[in-house]
Amino acid sequence: MTTMNRRDALRLLGLSTFGVAALAACAPDATGGAATGDAAAKTFGFTSWSLNEAAQKAAVQAIVDAYAATNKVKIATASFPYNEYLNQVVLKLRGNQLTGAVQVDVAWLGALAAMGKLRDLGAQASAGGYTDVALSSGKFDGRQLGLPWTTGSIGLIANTELLTKAGVDGMPTTIDEFEAALGKVAKLGGGVVPYAAATKAAQLKDIFPWMQTFGSPLLSGDQVTIGDEPSVAAVEWYKKLYDAKLIAPDVDRFDARALFSQGKAAFYDDAIIARGVVASQSPDKALVQKMAPLSRPVLKAGDTPQALLWGHVIAVVEGEGADAAAEFARFATSDTATVADFFQKVQLPPTTTAGLADPKVAGDSFTTEWTEKITKTATANPFWRYAADAQIESAVAEQVQAVLVGNSSAKDALAKAAEAVEGLQK
Amino acid sequence: MTVTLPRPATLPRERVRRRLRPDQARSRVAAWIAVAVIGLFGMFPVYWLIVTAFTPDDRVFSFPPSLFPSRITLDHFADLAKNEQLFGYLVNSVIVSVITAVLSVVVSAYMAYAFSKFRYRGRKSLMHLVLASQMFPQALLLVTLYAVFSAVGLLGSYTAMILSFTTFTLPLCVWMLKGIFDTVPGSLMEAAAIDGASRWRTLHTIVLPLAAPGLVAAGLFAFVRAWNDFIFALTLSSPERQTLPPGLVHTYLGEFQTAWPDLMAASFVVSLPVIAAFMFLQRYLVGGLTAGAVKG
Amino acid sequence: MRAGRLTNGQFAWLLMLPALALFLAIIAYPLISSVVTGFFEQSLVRPGRAFTGLANFADVLGGDFWPVLRNTLVFTAGATIVPFLIGYALALALNAGIRGSGLMRGLFLFPWVIPGVVVSFLWLWIFNANYGVLNGILLRLGILDAPVSWLGEPATAMIAVIVTKSWASFPWIMVMLLAGLQTMPKELHEAASVDGAGAIRRFISVTLPHMKGIASIVVLLEFIWNFQHFDTIYVLTGGGPAGATETFAVAVYDTAFKGFDLGHATALGGLWMLLLLVLVAFYLRHETKERS
Repeated sequence: MTTMNRRDALRLLGLSTFGVAALAACAPDATGGAATGDAAAKTFGFTSWSLNEAAQKAAVQAIVDAYAATNKVKIATASFPYNEYLNQVVLKLRGNQLTGAVQVDVAWLGALAAMGKLRDLGAQASAGGYTDVALSSGKFDGRQLGLPWTTGSIGLIANTELLTKAGVDGMPTTIDEFEAALGKVAKLGGGVVPYAAATKAAQLKDIFPWMQTFGSPLLSGDQVTIGDEPSVAAVEWYKKLYDAKLIAPDVDRFDARALFSQGKAAFYDDAIIARGVVASQSPDKALVQKMAPLSRPVLKAGDTPQALLWGHVIAVVEGEGADAAAEFARFATSDTATVADFFQKVQLPPTTTAGLADPKVAGDSFTTEWTEKITKTATANPFWRYAADAQIESAVAEQVQAVLVGNSSAKDALAKAAEAVEGLQK
Repeated sequence: MTVTLPRPATLPRERVRRRLRPDQARSRVAAWIAVAVIGLFGMFPVYWLIVTAFTPDDRVFSFPPSLFPSRITLDHFADLAKNEQLFGYLVNSVIVSVITAVLSVVVSAYMAYAFSKFRYRGRKSLMHLVLASQMFPQALLLVTLYAVFSAVGLLGSYTAMILSFTTFTLPLCVWMLKGIFDTVPGSLMEAAAIDGASRWRTLHTIVLPLAAPGLVAAGLFAFVRAWNDFIFALTLSSPERQTLPPGLVHTYLGEFQTAWPDLMAASFVVSLPVIAAFMFLQRYLVGGLTAGAVKG
Repeated sequence: MRAGRLTNGQFAWLLMLPALALFLAIIAYPLISSVVTGFFEQSLVRPGRAFTGLANFADVLGGDFWPVLRNTLVFTAGATIVPFLIGYALALALNAGIRGSGLMRGLFLFPWVIPGVVVSFLWLWIFNANYGVLNGILLRLGILDAPVSWLGEPATAMIAVIVTKSWASFPWIMVMLLAGLQTMPKELHEAASVDGAGAIRRFISVTLPHMKGIASIVVLLEFIWNFQHFDTIYVLTGGGPAGATETFAVAVYDTAFKGFDLGHATALGGLWMLLLLVLVAFYLRHETKERS
C-alpha cells in the first residue's frame, strides 16, 4: 500500500451509493400480498409456546396427535419460548412461513390483527358453545380472530407453609398487611425471597395491577394516566420493597416459578397454570397442596382487589390448510372431553359452558377458589386494544426498571413512560 | 502442534536451566503466576459447565453450590440423546457452516488474488471498501436482508442463512487470503509465464496449492464465524431449519431456562464437534491467522 | 480459457466478479436500502410506508441515541482492552520458556471455540443471583456478605457482559500475539541484556515496538467486532436492566424485530453507520500518513 487515493474511494462510494439508492427506493415490501396456498389442504402447522413448557408440552402434543389421527390430517408443530414468541411469530408470519393454527396471548392479538393475515373464525365461534366473556377475549375490531383456549387471570399465589413458618396468620388483605407479611417472611432467611415479583423487563407489566390498586386507571378514554399520583405511589412502593430486599432483582416469570417451586418464595404472580407448573418442577411433591391463590391486597379495606384478565386463544392463518386448521382450533378449544382432560393435566380452565360444567372442572376447589378470589374482579389491560401493546408494555417496564435500579425517580420515569406510550397509541 | 511457527523454547531444557540468570528465573516465576491466574479464569467456567451437566436435578439449586460434586448423574445426557430436534439443529449448523465456508473461500480467493497480484484502476478503493464492510452493522443489514429474502420466498431456507453469513465471512476471507497471497513470491508467477502457462493455469496449479494451508485456515475461520452466528439465524431461519445457536436459545430460554444441568449438558455436547475439529486442525488456523498479520 | 486475451486489469476484474456480485447484492444494496428506510415511517406488521424526512433521526437523537452510544463505547472499550491485556500477559508467559507451553496454548483455545451462545448460557448460570457459583465462592471467601444480582444491577451487568465477552476472545488474541512474539529475533533481547537492560526495560524497548504491528491489527479487529457484538448481550441481559447494557446492535434489533418499528431502527442504525464512517475516515487518513 503506497499511496491511498482517497478521491478514487470517494468516487466509487458515491457511484455505488447512487446506483443502489435508486434500487433501494423501490425496496421490497415483505408483507406480501394475499394469502397463497390451498386452504383446503389437509396439512397445516400448529405453533404454540405451550409446547416449549415442560408442564404443558405432553398434554398439548396429545391433543395434536389425537386430532391428527382421527381426522387424517398432518399437523407440523413448532414452538418458541414465551418471551421470544411474539417476535418470532411476527417474523415468520410476515415472511409467509407460518400456516395453520397459532396459539396467541390475548395481549398480542392487536399486533397480529394489524398484519391482516388471520382468518375470521366467526362460524367456528358460534358453533363452539363458548361463554361470552371468553369469546370477547378473541375478538379484535369486531372480528373473531381467535377461539378462546383458556380465559382466566393473573393473580397472586402464596406458599402457605412458608407463611405459617414466618408467623403470618391469615392472608393479607391490604397493602400494609401484605408488607408486614413480607417483612416476617424476610426474617426466615435462607435465601427466601418474600415476594418473587417480576423485576426483569419481560414481565414487569405485572406492575399494572399494582398501579390500579393504588388507584390509577392507566388509561382513561384515550388519555394515558400513567404518571399520575397513584401510579407514582405504586412504583415508589415497589421500589421500597426492592430496596428492602422484599422483592428480588433479575426475576421474570420463569425465575419466579423456579424460586417458588424450590420453596424459596412466599408469593409470586402467575396464571392459574401455576399449579401444574409447580407440580412438574418442584422437588417437594406436597407443595401443590400448600399453594393458595389470594386476592391482590388493596390500598384500604373495602376496595376492589385488582387482577389482570388473561388468556390465550388459537388463531388461524389464512392460506394453506386454513380450513382444517380452523376445525382443529375449534376442536382443541371446545370438545368437552378434550378440554376437561386438558384441564386435568395442566389446570387451565376451559372456555365453553359445557367444559366449565364438567365435573372434573366444576369439582376442583383450587379453580373455584381462584375464580372467586381473582378472576371475578379481573379486568383487561386497557392497552391491549393498541397494535403496539407489546411496545407500550416494554416502554413502561423499562422506565420502572430504571426506578428500581435507582437511575431515575418514579415521577420522572413515569412521565417519560407516559410520553413514550402516547407515541405508540395507534 | 505448530508447523508454521517456531516452537517456543527451542533450546534444550538442560542448557536453559544452567544458563538461567536471576532475572530469567524471576520472569519464569512471573510467567507461572500469570498462567495460573489466567488459567483459573479461563478454565474454571469450563470445569463448571461440565460439573453442572453431571449434577442431579435435586442438587442444582442448593446454595452455596459445592465445587466438587458429591453425586453425579448421566440422566441429562440420556435425555439429550432422545432429543431429535437438537440433533436436527446440529445437522443444520453443519450444513450451513460448511457451505458458507467453502463458498466464501472460493469466491474470496479470486478476489484476494486479484487484490494481491494485480495493479489496476479502482483496486485500492475497492479493497478498502470490502475491508471496511466488516464494520457495517449486521443488525442494520438484517432489516433489508429480511425483507429481501421474504419477498423472494427464501426466508427460512439454507440459502438465506448461507448468503447472510457470507456478509461477514466474505470480507474476512478476502482480508486473510490477501495476506497469504502477499507471501507468495511474484517471481514464481513470472517463471510460470515464461514457461508459457496462462494466468489462469498459474493460479490454479501453482499459487493455490502453495496457499492451501492458508485457504484451510480462512475456511476454518469462516466456519467458526458461521457456526457461531446468532443474529442472522435467529431472524432468517424457520423452526425446522434453525441452526444450533437460535435452536438452543429457543429450546432452553423460557420455561427450561432454569433447567441448568440439561442446558449445560446440551452445551457440552454441541461444543464437542467444534473442539474436536480444532484439536485436529489447530495448526492450520494458527498459521493462517498469523501469516498475513505477522509481517512486522 | 480465453483469459489470455485480456489485459491484466481485465483479468483481475474477471477474478473479482463473483465476489463483487455477492458484495453488491448482499452487503452494499441491503446496507443502503436500510439506511434509506430511516427516512420513512415503516412498520414490520403493517404494509406500506410513508416518507417522514428526518423525523426518525430527530426522535432517535432526542431519545436513545446517546445512552446507547455510551453503552456501546463502554462495552467496546472494555471487551477490547480486557481480553487484550489478558491475552498479552498469557502470550508473554507462554513465551517465557516454561514447560508445556505448547499444550497449554491448545488448552487455552477452549473458551474461544465454544459456540458464542453456549458461552452466554454458561456465564448466565455462573452469574445467577440466587444459585450462581460466583456468589457462592465470593460468599464463602467472605468477600461478599450478601449475594449480588450481577445481571440485575446496571453497573455489574455491564461488567458481567464485558467479562463474558473477554473470556470468549482472549484465547485468539493470545494466539496471535504469541505468534508475533515467536518471530522476534532473540539477538535483540540478548543485545539489550548485554547492555544491562532489565526485564521491564527490555519489554518496553524491544518487545513493544516489535509487537506494534500485530497488536494493532488484533485491537482493530476486536474493536470492529465488539462494536457490533450482539449474542452475549442479547442472551445475558437483553440490553437490561433499565437499558444499562443496550448497545447499538441490541437496540437496532429490538426496535426493528421486537418493536416492529423499522423506521426508527434503521434511523438509529444509520447514525451508527455514520459514526463508523467517521472512524473509518480517520483510520484511512492515519494509514495514508503512516505509509507515505
